[in-house]
Amino acid sequence: MNAEAPAIALAPAQASAPRQRVARPPREFGAHLMLALLSLLSVFPIYWMLVSGLRADNDIFSTDLWPAAPSLDNFAYVIESIPIGGMILTTFMVAAVSTVLQLVTGLLAAYAFARWRFAISRVLFALLTVTWLIPAQVIMVPNFVQVSALGLLDTPGALIIPHAASAFAIMILYQAIRSFPEELIDAARMDGGGHMTVLWRVMVPNMRPALASLGILLFISSWNEYFWPLLVTRSVENAVVQIGLQMFMTQEGDQWGPLMAAASLVSLPVLALYLVLQRQIIESFVKSGIR
Amino acid sequence: MTGRGAIGLRQRRPPAQHKAVALLLLAPATITLVAWTYWPLLESFRLSFFQWNILPTTPQLFVGLENYRRLLDLPELNTAAINTAIYTFGLLPLTILLPLAVALATQRLSGPMRNLYRGLIFLPMIMAPVVVAIIWRWLLHPDHGLINRGITTFGFDPVRFLQDPDIAIWTILFITGWKLIGFSTILIAAAIAGIDRHLSEAARLDGATEWQVTRELTLPMLSPVLLFLTMLTVLHGAQWSFVYINVLTQGGPRQATTNLYYLLWDYGFGTFAIGWATAAGMLLFALFGVAAAICMRLMSRYAVYER
Repeated sequence: MNAEAPAIALAPAQASAPRQRVARPPREFGAHLMLALLSLLSVFPIYWMLVSGLRADNDIFSTDLWPAAPSLDNFAYVIESIPIGGMILTTFMVAAVSTVLQLVTGLLAAYAFARWRFAISRVLFALLTVTWLIPAQVIMVPNFVQVSALGLLDTPGALIIPHAASAFAIMILYQAIRSFPEELIDAARMDGGGHMTVLWRVMVPNMRPALASLGILLFISSWNEYFWPLLVTRSVENAVVQIGLQMFMTQEGDQWGPLMAAASLVSLPVLALYLVLQRQIIESFVKSGIR
Repeated sequence: MTGRGAIGLRQRRPPAQHKAVALLLLAPATITLVAWTYWPLLESFRLSFFQWNILPTTPQLFVGLENYRRLLDLPELNTAAINTAIYTFGLLPLTILLPLAVALATQRLSGPMRNLYRGLIFLPMIMAPVVVAIIWRWLLHPDHGLINRGITTFGFDPVRFLQDPDIAIWTILFITGWKLIGFSTILIAAAIAGIDRHLSEAARLDGATEWQVTRELTLPMLSPVLLFLTMLTVLHGAQWSFVYINVLTQGGPRQATTNLYYLLWDYGFGTFAIGWATAAGMLLFALFGVAAAICMRLMSRYAVYER
């Protein structure tokens, strides 16, 4: 993640202006071939995961592209042997709550930064812009000690509280608020609105697209997070899906069918989100240029 | 960043009561970041001068610079540092060169197919690293993995991608990069689409060849995005590989895939040598700071902006 995001015009690719089509078949063909190969490289491993999850026990080593007799046995086995439903629920809750918290704390801070500048806020802003320079591994020991001193080990609180604010979210929202038309704010202020009224009634409704795409980004990265949950999770009952999956792998080893079914289950929510909001998701990743 | 965007909100120097409001609004974010990032950084620095095993009941023993001295004598730190460099620079072909080549070669392509390709090549980016690790573990399995099945059909010996100490690090590197190829390609393609068409058309009218247009015009215009991706890779590449090392090889075989981030984690939560873990963390942080400073300098010096 980078606050100093590229200062270039990242226009969507499909905006390539309607220019006269120069018919040059060989060149076009090469381009299609290249992108088709890259698409295959990107999608095939994920396809293979889904298909392997659907294979019956005696079919698992088959190299056919589609199982002889697709079955959901592996999924049933996963649901029986680990509390995957509970894990998905926990992960969803953790990701949703952290996303909302990061958006709210981010909005408040971004508004203050955009509105006023004074000595303390300047120092805080500078600190914020360098947060990404501190790798999680460098601060993991004190954080772990702190979480266990607070009695939060193995609870959702350990995953949510340290992530209640994100420097990345603040920077993105700061940029959005800075470009907000001042007349609108002044008008609302003149009507006697307080800062909270301005923020919630005027700015937030107008920033909905920006908030939505940032929210999706924060949700996906929380859903996929591995390192911090790895440190503070103890039991399979309280694990988020990524840790549950890793535990399942350690325990089942080379049970490829169930393992692929578990990996598919863990990926389905994000894949479904991607299927529906594909364009917005790509745009928000590209615009913010993160990870 | 503060200098630009004067069209929008004007910042004011606040009167006292507004200062209080501002601080109130900043409080939740500030408290969280101080409590979970900056205070821990100072605490890590302090702990790096102590010997401790993380248990609250054991006393922390002050040892001065001993942790640093012992650490620098360890051969495994050397291995990890060299591997970190391999991870960092080895990723550049996958996150920059290949995406740049694809984006340049396909810049004229438009229409519905282009959006389909975009949707497909971006997919790895949203997959969870643990899932990615498990998928490749299956595809690369020495006996039953699809890739080795293919290799053996052609009469070659199966490749032990994750078990052979000479190959494992390149396998982890590939898996780390696999997730990012599509993202980088789309980012670069978007930057190419943002370049003013009139410039390249004017150059072509003046008789410039395709290669000249690319080299003299497109590439310099792309320098901000290329530098940004380089910086992202150099600063975060070794961190990205952590999950794959942790899930797939645990740093092995024979330390072949370990890196500084993994070593740190191993000291901290494998053997609970907190003094070593925090001292190594401080060294890494210093190294990271220097790398970041160099990147920033390069970024501001070499980036060519339109306008």
